[in-house]
Parts: sequence; C-alpha cells; structure tokens
Amino acid sequence: MDPGKFLLFAVAGLSEAAFLFIVAAGLSLVFGALRVINMAHGSLYMVAAFVTAYVAAQAGFIGGFWTGLLAAVIVTGLVGIVIEVVVLRRVYQSEHLYQLLGTYALTLIIAGAVRILFGASFRTISPPDFLNGSVTMIGGSYSTYDFFMIGAALAIGVGLWLMLYRTPLGRNIRAAVSDPVLLNATGVNVSRLYTIVFMIGAILAGLGGVLVAPSQVVSLDMDNNVLVLAFAISVIGGLGSIVGSLVGALVVGMIESFGVSNRYTAHLSIAFIFIVMVIVLTIRPSGLFGRPEQ
Amino acid sequence: MTGLLSLLPERLGDRLRWAGVVAFLALVLALPPLAGLQEQLNPDTNSRFPIFLATTVLVLALWAISYNLMLGYAGLVSFAHAAYYGIGAYTVAIFFTRTHGASLLIGLALAPLVTVVFGFLTGLVALRAVRLYFSLLTLAISQLLYAIAQQWYDVTGGDNGLQGLTVPDALSDYTAGYYFVAAIVLLCLLLMFILVRSPFGAALAAIRENRERAASVGINVKAYELAVFTIASLFAGVAGGLYAFYQHEATPGLLFWTANADPVIVALLGGIQSFLGPALGAVVLVLLKTNLSRNYANYVDVVLGAVVLGLVLLAPGGLVSLPQIFVRLRNRFRRGEEDEAVEESQGEAIRMLDVQKAVHSGAIQTAEIETGAVLLRIEDLSKSFGGLRAVSDVSLQVRQGDRHAIIGPNGAGKSTLFNLITGRLKPSSGRVWFDGRDITGKPVHKIAKAGIGRAFQITSIFPRLTVRENLQYAMLAHRGRTVWPVGIAARIFREEALTLLEGVGLGAYADLPAGQLSHGDQRAIELAISLALGSKMILLDEPTAGMSPFETQKAMELVRRIATERKLTLLFCEHDMEVVFGTARTVTVMHQGRILTQGPPEQVRRNPEVQKVYLGELDMDEEVTA
Repeated sequence: MDPGKFLLFAVAGLSEAAFLFIVAAGLSLVFGALRVINMAHGSLYMVAAFVTAYVAAQAGFIGGFWTGLLAAVIVTGLVGIVIEVVVLRRVYQSEHLYQLLGTYALTLIIAGAVRILFGASFRTISPPDFLNGSVTMIGGSYSTYDFFMIGAALAIGVGLWLMLYRTPLGRNIRAAVSDPVLLNATGVNVSRLYTIVFMIGAILAGLGGVLVAPSQVVSLDMDNNVLVLAFAISVIGGLGSIVGSLVGALVVGMIESFGVSNRYTAHLSIAFIFIVMVIVLTIRPSGLFGRPEQ
Repeated sequence: MTGLLSLLPERLGDRLRWAGVVAFLALVLALPPLAGLQEQLNPDTNSRFPIFLATTVLVLALWAISYNLMLGYAGLVSFAHAAYYGIGAYTVAIFFTRTHGASLLIGLALAPLVTVVFGFLTGLVALRAVRLYFSLLTLAISQLLYAIAQQWYDVTGGDNGLQGLTVPDALSDYTAGYYFVAAIVLLCLLLMFILVRSPFGAALAAIRENRERAASVGINVKAYELAVFTIASLFAGVAGGLYAFYQHEATPGLLFWTANADPVIVALLGGIQSFLGPALGAVVLVLLKTNLSRNYANYVDVVLGAVVLGLVLLAPGGLVSLPQIFVRLRNRFRRGEEDEAVEESQGEAIRMLDVQKAVHSGAIQTAEIETGAVLLRIEDLSKSFGGLRAVSDVSLQVRQGDRHAIIGPNGAGKSTLFNLITGRLKPSSGRVWFDGRDITGKPVHKIAKAGIGRAFQITSIFPRLTVRENLQYAMLAHRGRTVWPVGIAARIFREEALTLLEGVGLGAYADLPAGQLSHGDQRAIELAISLALGSKMILLDEPTAGMSPFETQKAMELVRRIATERKLTLLFCEHDMEVVFGTARTVTVMHQGRILTQGPPEQVRRNPEVQKVYLGELDMDEEVTA
C-alpha cells in the first residue's frame, strides 16, 4: 500500500475512532462508577442524532448544526437523569441480569419512541458550512469534517480527563469507583453523584451521536450497531478505563477502516473486531486496562 | 375415587404447579381439534393460524427453557444462545439444499449434533471469563457467527438466507406437523426436567447461588458451567432445527445478538425460578406480538419494553410469582403495615442442639487413617502481595486427630494461610502436603474433595436454597455425586442432612431459605456444611465470629465432641482466647506472617514473646481465667 493511500485510510480510521471513543468513554465511565452496563447507551446516541437532524432541519441553514448540538446535549442529559432516577437506582443491588434487562427494556422503549416521533425513514444532515469541504494533501482529498471529528474527540477526551483528575466532582467519582460506601460515610451524597455520572455518560453518548450525524445516515438501526462496537471497545480496553476506551476505539476504528481497504477483507472487518475481542479476553479476562472484577 | 385423590400432592403450591403442568399438556394436545371446531362454527376463521401460532409458542418455549438452563439454574447470562438456535436452523436448511431436497428429518437429527460441537468449542472460550465479561464474550462470539452466516454466500445464502424448504409429505399436513413438533418439544422438556432435578442440577443451583462456596464444597465450577452451556446449546439447536422445519427457512437475522431478547424476555416473563414458567411466557409473548403487530405495529417495541421494565422493577419473579405478590399485597392491606409473618429464625437456634444426634449423624464421615500420623504438612510457605509478605516461610505440621489452633493479632497472616491451604490463593513459594499428597496450588474443588472441609470467616452459604438443601448439595458435591444427570437430588442424603441439622439445632428451619435465618444461625449452617465436608480435616476460620457468647460455647462444645468421636482433625483460627484454650491441643502463634512459636496451650501461654505480641491487645491470663 503506498504511503498516500495508507494516510487516507489512517485518517478515516481516526475519525471513526473519534466518535467511537466518545461513546465508549461514556459507557465505560458509567460502568466504572455505577457497575452497570447500560444497554441503552446506543439508544441515547441515536436519540441525539435524530434530535440534531430534526432541530437542524427546523432551524434552517444558519447555525443549524450548532443549535442541534445544544438541543441534543440537553435532551440526552435530561433523558439520562430520568433513566437513572426511575430505573437504574432500583436495580443497583440486583443481579447483572436485571440490570441488563432493565436497560435493554429502555432500548426497546426509546427505539419505539423515536420511531413514533420521527418516523422510520432515515435522515441526513449537513455539517456546518466551514467544515463542509475537503482538504487536498498527499494521497488525495480528505473531508474537513473528519479532522473536525478527530479534534472534537481530543477536546472531549482532554475535558473528561481534566474533569476526572482536576475537579472535586472528578475526585468524588474516582472515590465512588473504588469504594462508594466509604465515600457515602464521608458525607458525599453518592446517590446524587450517581445521577450526575450517568448524566455525563448520557451526554457523552449524545455527543457521539451529534458528531456522527453529518458523516453518516441517521437511521433506526444506529443504536444496536454502535452499542456492539462500544461493547467491543470497552471490553478490549477494559471496562471502567478511559485510557482503555481510547486504545480500544483506535483498534476498532483502524480495523474498520483498513478492513475495507482490501476487497478480500472488506466483508470481514466486523468479524476481525470480534476476533480481536475474543483474543484479548482470552488472554486478559478483564481487558487491556481493566481491573479484575471482585 | 378417594384412592385417586390421595395421589395428589399434599401442599397447595405443589397442587397448583401440577395443575399447571396438566393444563399445559392438555392445551398442547387439544389445540388442533379446538381450532378445527372454531373453524366449523365460524367460517370466517381459519384453523391454520392458531395451529401456526401454537407451533411458534412450542418452539419458543423450548428455546427459552433451554436458555433458562443457563440463566435460571446456573446464573449465566449468554448472548450467544440465538447463534446456536440459528446454527440449528442453518444445519437443517444447508443439509436440505446441499442434498437437493433429501428429507428434512435427517437435517433435523443433525442439528443438535452440529450445534453441540459449536456450543462446546465456543463455550470453552467464553467461560474463560466470568460474569459480565463472560456475557460480553458470548456477544462477540455470537456476532462472529452472525458475520459468517451473513457473508458466506455460497453456503448460507448470505443476506437472504436459505428459503423454500419442503416438508416430507407425511408431515405436510398442518395438524400432523404440529403434533410432530409438539412431540419433540415435550421430549426435550422432559429430558431437561430430569436434568434440573438431578444431582447435576443441584450443582448448578449451588454455582448460581455462590460460586466460591460451590468450589469449596468440591464442585468444579468451570466444568459444570461448560457442561450446562453445551447442553443448553444442544437444545437450542433442536429448537432452531424445528424453526427451519415449520418456517421453511433459515436467515442470518436468527443469529443476530438482539435475537436473544426473545428467549430472555420469555423466560423472565414466565419466571426464571420455575421450570415451565418460560412456556407461559412464550404464550403471552406470542399473543402480545401477534395482536400488537396486527393493529399497532409502531407500538410493539414500546409496549414490549414497558412490559419488560415493569417485570424487572415490580415482579422479577415473573408471571408465576404473581400469586405470591398478590397474597403479600392482600396481607399488607388487611393488616395495615404489618407484613405477612415471614418465617424467620429467632437466633440462637443452637440452643436446641442435640450433641448425641450430631455426633452420630450419617452426614459426617469418620476419618479412617491412623491417629497421630501427620495429616497436613506445610513447608516454607510464602505469599507476597506486591511488596507485602503476608505469609513468610511458614512450616507447620498438623497431626491426625489433633485440634490445632492458629492465633495471632489482626494481619498476622492467618486467613491468608488458610486461603493458601484451601487453594483460593496460589503460594509464591513453598509446598503443602495433605494426607501424603502434594496439594500445592491445586484448584479449590480438588482440595475440598481431597478431604478438607472449610468454614469461612465471612458466612458463605447458598442463600436462596433451603437450609436442608445447603447441606444436601454440599454432601452431593463432596461425595462426587453431582455428575449424575438422573435421579432426584432432593431425595438423596435427605435423612442424613436432617439428622445433622437437628443435631446443630436447625431442624425446625430445614425448609426455610438459608438467607432468611439470623446471623448466628447462618454461622451454624456454615459450621454444619464444613462438618459434612470434612471427612478428614476441618478448617474453621473464626468459627464463632458474630455468635453470642452462649452460641459460641455451644458451638465449640459440639465441634469438640464431633472431632473427638469421629476422629476428625481440626485446624482453626480464632480471636476468642477462651475458645482457643478451651478447645485446642496444639497452638501456633503467628505474627507478621511468620510463626512465632508452637506447642501445647500452657507452654504457649507462658511464652514471654507471645505475651509481648499480645500486650496492648489483650491480657491473655486475664482473658483465659475470666
């Protein structure tokens, strides 16, 4: 493969990794603190994409995308709060099965609600004008929006890191990860902290959905498709680890991108992802950066 | 007539259950004639449709009950079950198309064989991980199989799948086809029912309730999980084969991971704690989906989601638990705030102990080797956690028939030493011999089977099993009986377990779930389990922690008597010096991971170094003479 082509696929892989990282980081953050796998994570991502597309269409061409982004963040944040308070709170003490099923029920409800509200037909949305072009460099022409996605993911990743390691909220979240009972005893309202963590997770899913909306088709099967990839990433990287999400997202993004570069592997790139997942879990049962489950 | 009535089960709950089974069978058999009758009375209806729905229900019920073998009986949440169902369907379809239409029946016979191979091999991989990671690994496997089914166009027909399978003439009639499917489904259900009631099923229940405890009573947890995973995949293969048989097709969508929702929802809807519950769930789901998709297609997902969410939040026991929930609500309504008097133990059940009965209980095996020989030999055993040496060059001998106490301040390494002996931890260096065999680093279940019974410091029992089952299942496992897939577990060792329970004073609570007992009484169960296991040596990690002084005194009296009369060897650690010096014949003192001294109790007590270690913790003389 010549270097130009290689770069082309690498950039495509990076932009794929970008939104996947944002989504998987949210899933991983929620799991780390709440010990719950949120099956509805992909649904929040889908809701955000639909809201963005809808609002952008209503708001017209001026600032459509940005208005959509704002609306999507607000909606996913609110839905996240409702889910945590109404459903999750009541299943923290239950077995994994009930947590999986409870959040799976939410995916059905949300998918149904999206279908009823927005209809079953797919939608498209254009990126903001200044990102809606292409850059010509070695190897060919690159979509400006791909670079925007990569930059946005970096910014969100750095923001997430600052939040976790440089703010009192982040300190509490990290404390909740290691010992929620003790944290509660020090006077922190862990219950409210969980709501906030879940809201942040939901917003991350939402941001992933907003970012991806202009680069892909917004449709009703987005939720399951992204969820499986987010699971794969979290498992490869290790559930609960943000660094793991980053590494996992890069692995998955690159496999997807370079998988389609060759006509023999084009159909099998999805299979490669799961083969990697099986290999990683067989060797390191808690993922590359995960801690063993107690 | 009265003779027939006496055959009925005595308890109301059992009667209701059997009535449900009979009603289910009657409905399965009577459905085609009823549908035919309806068609005659009302020419607008068609008898084919209800028969088709009933076939769907039966196949779904088989699929869901096979799923529930893992979910309800072994506590495994798998995302790969739909893949095995799909493989079953593809086996039938591929065999049919490759042989240019040879009988579907041969394909149907091949389906479970092919699926079981896939189930075993993928289970081998998936079960390397536990709990959530296991679930996610099965998800990856199922997506991998889906990708193959969808992409391998030449064999599987790609996206379109394989269509147009034709059924042999003899079964092409709707009613005949239905009875054929029903016969296979009922046969499979019968086989699974035998399995879950067997000692093998008992081992699964033990694993579901408490993996650690299950291993420490001698169950090879991974092997049993792999076995049930493989068996479940076999029955899923049958169900999938039947799907291809009555739907005349196999499509890649069958393998997609979201397809697992059907058996899971059905199992949950009916009730995962009951064998036929999922069949009830299948009826409800099929009727719900059929009616909704006819009139409110857009609302299917929302309604289904709401139903599942409602079950998870309000009735996790499923539809079969609704009568109980109703009774509880009615009682609350009648008596105001007061709940139905949940039967609970009052604590201090050990007050009722019957030493004579316990000592002669058949649950306890008499040790057979010569008294005075070295039973347990530990040589230079060390264990480090990072930089911390929790156990450091410990050498120790425990003689047959001895009552050997290990004491020392908190953090002396006593529990770590116990975990090294029982295999929960692997030593960094050193060796452990038990009964002449090297058991260093052997898995927990093998060491348990070699004859070391253990009571944990933090009570570790099977909470949702009854007190009697706790003991029975532990005995089954320890005596290697849980490999039997036939026979009724509840009837084996029943008397032996009861006698020991009466011996330790728990006889009155034999049929209560163990988790409902008070803390002290749960300690007594813990103790009874370890007694029933320790054919040679019993390891007690602070046996009386959390017991009242009275319970402590009684429990230790019991342990002493049993150990003496049944020639058992006792190794225990304890903080209560009264217990230590009242029970032990040999005392080993540990401090900071090392052995400080060892000898008869009197000698140890007078040792100035020991007194220094304990100074400030407690005054030993005062404690002992108090």
